[in-house]
Amino acid sequence: MPSDRDAAALLADGERLHPLTLLFTAITTGRQLVVPALVGGFTTRGGGVAVMIFVLVGILAVPGAIAGVLQWMAFRWRLAGDDLVLRSGVLNRQHRVIPLARIQNVDVVQGPLQRVLGVAELRVETAGGTGQAEATFRVLAASDARALQTDLLAGRRSAKAAAAPALVADGESAVSAPEPPRVPAEVLAKLSTRDVVVAGATASEVGVIAAFVGGAFQFVDDLSISQGLVRAYHATVGYAGGTTLVGLVLVGAGLVVTVLLVGWIISIGGALLRFHGFTLVREGDELRKRYGLLTLHEGSLPLKRVQALRVEESLFRRPLRLATLIIETAGGVPVPGQPQQSTGAEAFVPIAARSDVGRLVRGIFPDLDFDAVTIHRVSRKHLWRTARRYALPVLVPLAIGAGALWWFDLTAWLPALLLPLPLPYLLARWQYAHHGWGLADGYVLGRGGILNRVTWIVPDHKVQTLHEVASPFQRHAGLATVVVDTAAGGGRVMVMDLAAGDARGLVDLLRERVREAARAARRAARAPAPPPPAETGGYAADFISGAGSA
Amino acid sequence: MSEATLDATPAVAPDAAPQRLDPRIVTVWRIVALIPTAILVFAGAGAAVMVGWTWLWALPALFLVIGGGRALALPPRQWRAWSWRVGEADVRVERGVFWRHSTVVLHARIQHVDTHQGPIERMFGLARVLIHTAGTVGAVVEIPGLAQPTAEALRDRLAALSGAEDAV
Repeated sequence: MPSDRDAAALLADGERLHPLTLLFTAITTGRQLVVPALVGGFTTRGGGVAVMIFVLVGILAVPGAIAGVLQWMAFRWRLAGDDLVLRSGVLNRQHRVIPLARIQNVDVVQGPLQRVLGVAELRVETAGGTGQAEATFRVLAASDARALQTDLLAGRRSAKAAAAPALVADGESAVSAPEPPRVPAEVLAKLSTRDVVVAGATASEVGVIAAFVGGAFQFVDDLSISQGLVRAYHATVGYAGGTTLVGLVLVGAGLVVTVLLVGWIISIGGALLRFHGFTLVREGDELRKRYGLLTLHEGSLPLKRVQALRVEESLFRRPLRLATLIIETAGGVPVPGQPQQSTGAEAFVPIAARSDVGRLVRGIFPDLDFDAVTIHRVSRKHLWRTARRYALPVLVPLAIGAGALWWFDLTAWLPALLLPLPLPYLLARWQYAHHGWGLADGYVLGRGGILNRVTWIVPDHKVQTLHEVASPFQRHAGLATVVVDTAAGGGRVMVMDLAAGDARGLVDLLRERVREAARAARRAARAPAPPPPAETGGYAADFISGAGSA
Repeated sequence: MSEATLDATPAVAPDAAPQRLDPRIVTVWRIVALIPTAILVFAGAGAAVMVGWTWLWALPALFLVIGGGRALALPPRQWRAWSWRVGEADVRVERGVFWRHSTVVLHARIQHVDTHQGPIERMFGLARVLIHTAGTVGAVVEIPGLAQPTAEALRDRLAALSGAEDAV
């Protein structure tokens, strides 16, 4: 690893970012200044103060531009041996050395403007696991970005080969090994436009978007939407004379339907923008993904970094026999301010047929037959405990409502309060039906959820810690909860309300399995890898042994 | 390489039975529990003195009774509830008076081990051992109330047992 002095020397004529970087830095800074400018302009509605604000913004932009140029000049990078060396910063000079073997994920992202201009952003992530890129190159020429991505990943492969002496086949120095031959790629998922539309149409975020749209409606008071609605109401209901209850309900319902419809369309549009052309490919020991309409994302993720899989069958998707697959990785603390929310799930399949999930899972965990795993239910007491837990938030408002109705002498409406009464039991029934756990050879599964059914798949060797928790109520009822902890952000398998004996038994069993998996991993790491087979027809097996190498 | 040398761990015998915490931790917990109680009592008493209503004295009295009772009764039960055991392949920690927790950390999953001493712990010569893992729920597994030499010995022992594998 080069020292600071060596790095400085190397970087004296290191590579620079593309000159168009300045444009994008200007755009980012501009975005930060535009909002206050707009706010100032709108709130003061023109006039002298607005002009002053614009002038101020203009003055602030000049040092910003100078800073941008200086930063561009200061940013230098170089591929030196087994490391990526970078230097950045004008006032605070920062040297960073990233060993290529540590690189876990390299993404190439192109926003719409960047695509038009033929440049791209490259993000390098290591096992640091904060979810933030260790190195961001913004921007490089698109072809340079892709070439660098290949070099970094290839360099990673050969750097790892150099680090593991057992892999040298015939005395030839690993450093001078030829570029690793391409491995046959297996396309795991490729979404058509129709698939993406379905994904957007069934997204559970529709509710959120609808609420947002509904809120937005409140701000369009100036426009004639409310007047238009009144006109529509008159047209549909007729001049029934005055505002009847039925009329109001119709208008209200119409409004709600409109909001939901608009929200739904936005959701579909958003999905198209985000996931158009989604492709997930497995190449050797890596997953490569590619998606996006305006902003194009291309990334690769080593399979070793996969901590767990999550199969989500949301409320809207389950009846259509659809599911979402999320590949959970380490770290995954969501970073505020990042354009993409980095939740540790860098790879996913937005939508897939439920019957296809088994194949997808096999693409990532080759020795797991997902559809064949039996999910065991937990103690029946879970149903009643959950029902009791949900009863309180339902019964209290109902009681208050009943009291209010009695107070206002509207006792005729009391029967209506009986409607939500079965709700706690129904929800609890759903939750009980979904909740369960399962074991496969080398994997632990957990399932849960009320409206959305989520199944977690955790390989034994990715289990970090095991917990058995019992609340005072559980102890009284002879129950306990088992938690299987992983390194995935927010990822753990939680099996609630098992009979206490079963809980202890499960923890003991998992402990033995994890221990065995750790032993197996140690063995694989130390065993010499088989020498790479002779090239056949242009393809050859990846010469890194699949399991165990860091 | 033979199976034996691959799996050989340093010659440290696992604990025969679950270990208890140092009894002095009970006093530490009592002190720690009494500090907020004392603050509340003094604040309440001060308010009662300043405002001058006699019934306001019920407040600091209440804090005294509740806080004092809790500081008296709970720590011994907490001491009884804690236990830890270094096994052949794992560390097991049990805790909790009302909510019982049982945590299992395999040696192979330990990232690193720290010892830590708060000011009051230092007065009594106690320390706590913090076992860091790559987990999210069990990111840090803590064993409080160990005599300082015991804590340091445990830290070194676990560090040796955890080995140098990539735990993630």
